[in-house]
Amino acid sequence: MTVRLAGVAIFMIAALYTWYGRDYTASFGDVLGPSVFPVIVGIPAMILSASLAVFPTGQVQWPDSPHMLRQVAALAILLGYALLLRDLGFPLATFGLILGIGIVLGGAPLRAVILAAVFAPALWALFDQVLGLPLAFLGRWFD
Amino acid sequence: METLSLLAGGFAVALTPLNIALLLLGCFSGTLIGALPGLGPVNGVAILIPLTFAFGFDATSSLILLSSVYFGAMYGGRISSILLNIPGDEPAVMTTLDGYPMAQRGRAADALAISGVASFFGATVAVIGLTLFAPALARAAIHFGPSDYFALYVLAFITIGGISGVDPRKTLVSALLGLMIATVGLDPISGIPRYTFENYHIYDGVDPIVALVGLFALSEILMLLEKAAIDRAKPIGLDSWLPDVRTIWTTRWAILRGSIVGFVAGVLPGAGASLGSVMAYSMEKQTSDKDGTFGKGDPRGVAAPEAGNNAASGGALIPMLSLGVPGSGTTAVMLAMLISLNVQPGPLLFERQPDLVWGLVASLYMANVALLFLNLPMIGLFSRLMLVPTWALMPIVAAVSFVGVFSISNSGFDLQLMIAFGVLGYLLRKLEVSLVPLVLGLLLGGDMERNLRRAMSISDGDWSVLIASPISITLYILTTAFLGLSIWLARRDHKRTQIRNFEG
Repeated sequence: MTVRLAGVAIFMIAALYTWYGRDYTASFGDVLGPSVFPVIVGIPAMILSASLAVFPTGQVQWPDSPHMLRQVAALAILLGYALLLRDLGFPLATFGLILGIGIVLGGAPLRAVILAAVFAPALWALFDQVLGLPLAFLGRWFD
Repeated sequence: METLSLLAGGFAVALTPLNIALLLLGCFSGTLIGALPGLGPVNGVAILIPLTFAFGFDATSSLILLSSVYFGAMYGGRISSILLNIPGDEPAVMTTLDGYPMAQRGRAADALAISGVASFFGATVAVIGLTLFAPALARAAIHFGPSDYFALYVLAFITIGGISGVDPRKTLVSALLGLMIATVGLDPISGIPRYTFENYHIYDGVDPIVALVGLFALSEILMLLEKAAIDRAKPIGLDSWLPDVRTIWTTRWAILRGSIVGFVAGVLPGAGASLGSVMAYSMEKQTSDKDGTFGKGDPRGVAAPEAGNNAASGGALIPMLSLGVPGSGTTAVMLAMLISLNVQPGPLLFERQPDLVWGLVASLYMANVALLFLNLPMIGLFSRLMLVPTWALMPIVAAVSFVGVFSISNSGFDLQLMIAFGVLGYLLRKLEVSLVPLVLGLLLGGDMERNLRRAMSISDGDWSVLIASPISITLYILTTAFLGLSIWLARRDHKRTQIRNFEG
């Protein structure tokens, strides 16, 4: 069932892709123009995904709901990190990231706190001080 | 003779103190990465590519560092195959068959030493083959026109899934998704934005590194979260690190056969290291398994796939360096490395940057020597690393991935894009869709389109130009033959499983 659904989803994406691609008009001097390649790619993708939707192969075992909940939690932590990194600064945001992912992966909370407290500043020191990648120590919220 | 002097020049490039230091550092940290659970060569190197820019070395040195990390990670993966029965990457699967039983019988040191020696000889065969054939292929490829290149890319995408027996439609869909993502951004010829939806962050297109880190490293975290939170079994301990030299000597013919089989498998498109090790193992089993010892800890069963796998990864460099078209996951990552260092592989690379090509070849060779000597005394350290629990390791991996991607563009948008790729990678892996064709599509899509449009400009819009030269016709015939073979194999496997399901 999952493969069928995935086939339908990819078909929709490929169809939208081809539909949008048709409208890119050529400027002068360019024989083929910017719309032909997307159509060449999009149409086989539509055919193949449609055939996967009709004749699926393989079985997909999805995790049970507690595990899926952990995956959602991990994604929320990752997204939160991406959104808050520049507001919080690297060490604080990374502390939260390591702590959160560590707990979601089944680490004991106290140990995860220690791990995060050690590695968040250590990674900042390694990348910012030693390797010279500019990473803010405190973010925009502290300005 | 000329190529020999070029190779000597390559060694001269690679043997500078800085490059030797980078090589040793790369081998060491690579082995660390490979030995750590949940980090394989592909995601290890993907995370490190952006960080390498921070060092500010030239392309050759960066390439030496990254490829020694790669080879180190492959070697580190052997350690976990042998001591834990968990292969670090796909080609290492065959090593577990005899490597783990050997370790169980107290011969772990022998198994590790054999895998090192066999890797070294496999790599030697590959370097010799590379030296002989790659320049010849590059010279032939000078005659390729834009329409021939287009045909070559078609061949590459059809064959990348290999003859693995997975549904070929899934592999093709993956490649097409990669090509779709490659068209996002400003069109390089007409300059109009495509699929950007007024979002200026993606006007430059999707950075392959962002995609690579998300697809491989972040999806691994999601995969790990599926399983129960218990940690793995303990690895088998080592009694001594001194191997038995006589045992290694008994595997000499297995190593030689495995190297040659592996090399041939590596050069063929769509085969790569996994097929190299599988073919080497099954051939060795047919030739020498007279007492039924294979699968129960036969040293030759460790030697053959290891030699085959390394010879194949070296052989796969031939089409990657001389045509710019990788045939396997290994070389796709190498290509990502080259492109991110602003090096365009292809026939001209051999003429314009011989230092880089031969320096890379020489460093691959030296990396194998270094790994052989580095790992024997330090194997105890590396095997202890395998006790690092996943809950402590993966958060650090996530943090380092974020730093690497953030350092490319300093934009939070790239981080979100990377997470999106992580989810995509997870879903595709669940659907048994290989991620390598997608990466390849993303890497080669721009060039594929540019060559098509160049060919059409030359012919003034006449499509028959695509099949006008003997080179492109040959390539299309090969593509059709390969497609037919893989469909036939997939159908046969499908029928077999159906029969098995019916009987069971």
